[in-house]
Amino acid sequence: MMMFALPALVLIPFLGGFAAWIAGLRGATRPAWAVSLVTLILMLLVLVNVTLASLSAGTGGWFAHFSMPWIPLLGINLRFDLDGLGLVMLWLNALISFPCALLSARNVSERAGLFHFLLLSTIAGINGVFMATDLFLFFFFWELMLLPLFGIILIWGDAGRQRAVLKFFLFTQGSGLLMLLAILGLVIVNAQRTSVITFDYFLLSQTAMITPVAGVLMLGFFLAFAVKLPMVPFHAWLPDTYAASPAAASILLSGVLAKTGGYGMIRFVVMLFPGPAAHLAPVAMTLGVVGILYCAWLAVAQSDIKRLIAYSSISHLGFILLGVFSGTRIGMEGAIAQMVAHGLSTGALFVIAGLLEDRLGTRDMAKMGGLWPAMPQFSAFAMFFAAASLGLPGLGNFVGEFLVLMGTWQVSHTMTFFAAAGLVLSSVYSLTMMLRVFFGPRRSEASSPLGALSVPHVAVLGVAALLLLALGVYPQPVLNLSVPASPHSVSYAQEQAQ
Amino acid sequence: MSFSFLPNAVLVLCLGSLVQLAAISWRRHVARDAVLCVIVLLASLASIMLPTFLIMTGSLPLFSSDSWGSYAGALIILSVIAIVLMSRHGAISADPSVNSEYFILLTLATLGGVAMTCAVNVISFFLGLETLSLSLLGLIAFRNERLDAGEAAMKYLLLSGVASATLIFGFALIFAETGSLRFAMPDLSHLPEPMIGTMGVILVLTGMFFKLSAVPFHLWLADVLEGTTIPVASLVAVTSKIALFAAMLRYFSSVNLGVPSAQVNEILIVAVLSMLGGNLMAVVQTDLRRLLAGSSIAHVGYLLVAFLSPQPFGVASAAFYLAAYAISTLGVFAIMNGVLPQGRDIREWHGLFRRKPAAALAMSIMLISLAGIPPAVGFFAKFYIVAAGVSAHQILLLFVLILSSTIGLFYYLRLILIMLTPAPEGYVSRAELSMPTPANATLIAVLACATLVLGIVPGALVDRSQGIVVTPVPIPVHSTIP
Repeated sequence: MMMFALPALVLIPFLGGFAAWIAGLRGATRPAWAVSLVTLILMLLVLVNVTLASLSAGTGGWFAHFSMPWIPLLGINLRFDLDGLGLVMLWLNALISFPCALLSARNVSERAGLFHFLLLSTIAGINGVFMATDLFLFFFFWELMLLPLFGIILIWGDAGRQRAVLKFFLFTQGSGLLMLLAILGLVIVNAQRTSVITFDYFLLSQTAMITPVAGVLMLGFFLAFAVKLPMVPFHAWLPDTYAASPAAASILLSGVLAKTGGYGMIRFVVMLFPGPAAHLAPVAMTLGVVGILYCAWLAVAQSDIKRLIAYSSISHLGFILLGVFSGTRIGMEGAIAQMVAHGLSTGALFVIAGLLEDRLGTRDMAKMGGLWPAMPQFSAFAMFFAAASLGLPGLGNFVGEFLVLMGTWQVSHTMTFFAAAGLVLSSVYSLTMMLRVFFGPRRSEASSPLGALSVPHVAVLGVAALLLLALGVYPQPVLNLSVPASPHSVSYAQEQAQ
Repeated sequence: MSFSFLPNAVLVLCLGSLVQLAAISWRRHVARDAVLCVIVLLASLASIMLPTFLIMTGSLPLFSSDSWGSYAGALIILSVIAIVLMSRHGAISADPSVNSEYFILLTLATLGGVAMTCAVNVISFFLGLETLSLSLLGLIAFRNERLDAGEAAMKYLLLSGVASATLIFGFALIFAETGSLRFAMPDLSHLPEPMIGTMGVILVLTGMFFKLSAVPFHLWLADVLEGTTIPVASLVAVTSKIALFAAMLRYFSSVNLGVPSAQVNEILIVAVLSMLGGNLMAVVQTDLRRLLAGSSIAHVGYLLVAFLSPQPFGVASAAFYLAAYAISTLGVFAIMNGVLPQGRDIREWHGLFRRKPAAALAMSIMLISLAGIPPAVGFFAKFYIVAAGVSAHQILLLFVLILSSTIGLFYYLRLILIMLTPAPEGYVSRAELSMPTPANATLIAVLACATLVLGIVPGALVDRSQGIVVTPVPIPVHSTIP
């Protein structure tokens, strides 16, 4: 049962998406939406099952394993393994995917079936990325998850989407090809050493430890993840893409897709090439700090609310880079907590931005203002997530950022100082956003009635708020669970299989 | 005493073209000729699988039969079958004076291509090449009422003539040095005059690059594709390139291309120029066929990367890439032919997803495959080539490949983007949507399925391609002229 749970996590969303597409062929929105939701619930159930089985196996190490040959002649297998980090990321993906499907009903009125197919395919691809331990398979999913997203942004996006989406795709694909070179380089180096062609993560990790070209190979991986995260100076695609995306895509992009970059950094840069990664650490951390400050500064100057959130997102992702490369356990834990918290809070902020755009017909903050009296419930939620995003103690983001800063302190005091300064800027733009949108005089006539929130919105925002609160107050279970397993520790499930 | 094989496919195609000629001289009937052509092609395809019937003895081996020749031959025949399936439409059947000959010319072009893939003698190679080129010329020129067809035919004739002359001159120089007509690169270090031998090899290469339309010998391709019908364009872009690439691989199979030398440098430079030049040329095009010409040139460049990385994946990856390229390019041409035959300007393709969703989806799959994105077959093909390049340490070529693939991504995606968005304000479409014939629709469906299935489960084709070996061209016993 456990054996097939991992491929099921990829197959269920994909097949469900297909079913949703067929259900939506008649043109009705409702059936496609229902199929999509059922699929997500099914996926969640499988995930719960996997989690329960993993928890009983104890924390640390590898929980589950699946392997079958795919292209035997080239040593390529359909191999999935799950560790704590992967499990936490899968949960994040499952949680974020609900609002995307739930809230899409309003924006996506035509070709809903296609929309759900593309959405669920992206989710399937992301699930694959978080579990694949065959490097070819990983790369396959890495490329695969982009394509449906490209379709979503292109069909349902806002003005300027054509430029934005091409930029997004060229950036990520170009860097992806560099990673392909690095993967193949590693495979060939391994083949020369052991005369076995394999793409297996665990076997390759032996070679990655000792090969003299490890530094070059690591750079290929690093660049691909740096573009995806994104790290300054590779962030040029992000604000345009986020701004032009429909609400569902920007939630998915900011909530999970950026985290695939962070995940890759941990799994394929730091764990696979620990030596060269330590050499690279000062550069990566410096760029992380530069990103935190520079993008926070840019965020202060934005008037488009989606762009503001986009820049703030890059700024907060700098902490992930900082934590991952700090080389300390506490920094790594902080980075993972930050990934989860940032996924939830930014996802929620994009839900809010999408709703504002929906109701007011504009994203320009200069045209908003004074919304609190009109929609108190909604404004309270916005306040909560803005506070979470600026790192208010008691909420998840604080835990992540604080742990990262603690980890960085052990390495470099200067960097900690500058990174912490980013938090000040973060308060500036978050509070300015609140001030301009929700307080002061009303500057616009709403294009649709403001009114109360719909039930799905309350549910989505409420759950996100609760989770952030839980993560902020008692983060220890997540921190314990999410320890990334080393490639050198043979998986528990694998032992059982043998 | 050495053995010479007459490959079954060559034999069947020779006999088949005679049967087709006899059928025409009896009575003209287009549909029958088309069916006859398909039967001949299928028979030749089946005959490739069988052991060779005719083994001749003699001192001059002309053909050999090995797995590389069979594989390339089968690809050529399959691609021509696809072309026949898309041919029964529009331009060709509307012109009653030339339609039966069209199918004979297709069979002859196949014959030429198949002969080239298994030729081990300069003479048999050249005969195959000219059979292919002259049939192509006839096919390009047969719409004699069209001005652009005449222009395309003239360009093809002149440049093909120049290329043939260059090839012949190169072969002659090598023959003067070695006294042998073996279709294999001579061992230059053992020649009395290595300079002349090197010149000969470089001339041969140049002639081949002309025919392959690699940069900087590529200028004719876009004009020819633009000036001819879509099926013939796909014949030029797919079939003749497979044949020539197969022959080229055989010619250089006896030398180690990993060691730098004058000819390796030429191939390297041409590969770099083709990848960059082809993609850059395609980026600025607004005419779909010229865009595909650029894309085709770039793909020749990618193939040359595999060509320069012989061990251990080179041949296998080239074989896989040829199949992937053939499937996807034929697919694009088949969709053009079936859905928007007049859709030259890419703006005509605006909003195809609304007007013809299935065709637009199939087109997107083909374009994704050409761009090398999963889950289409082009992804694995490119992956395979990069694997070959990495294992041969072709760092420069790989970086150019990545750079140019990223450029390529731009125009393939732009096409998908165009199909997804409605036409811009003020653009008046002149092209009419047409309904593909059943044969064409089947072809599109089969090619789209093949692209996806081979992309997701490439194992079978990888197995097949890993088994392919290019047997070295035998050294004839009495090869030197006294």
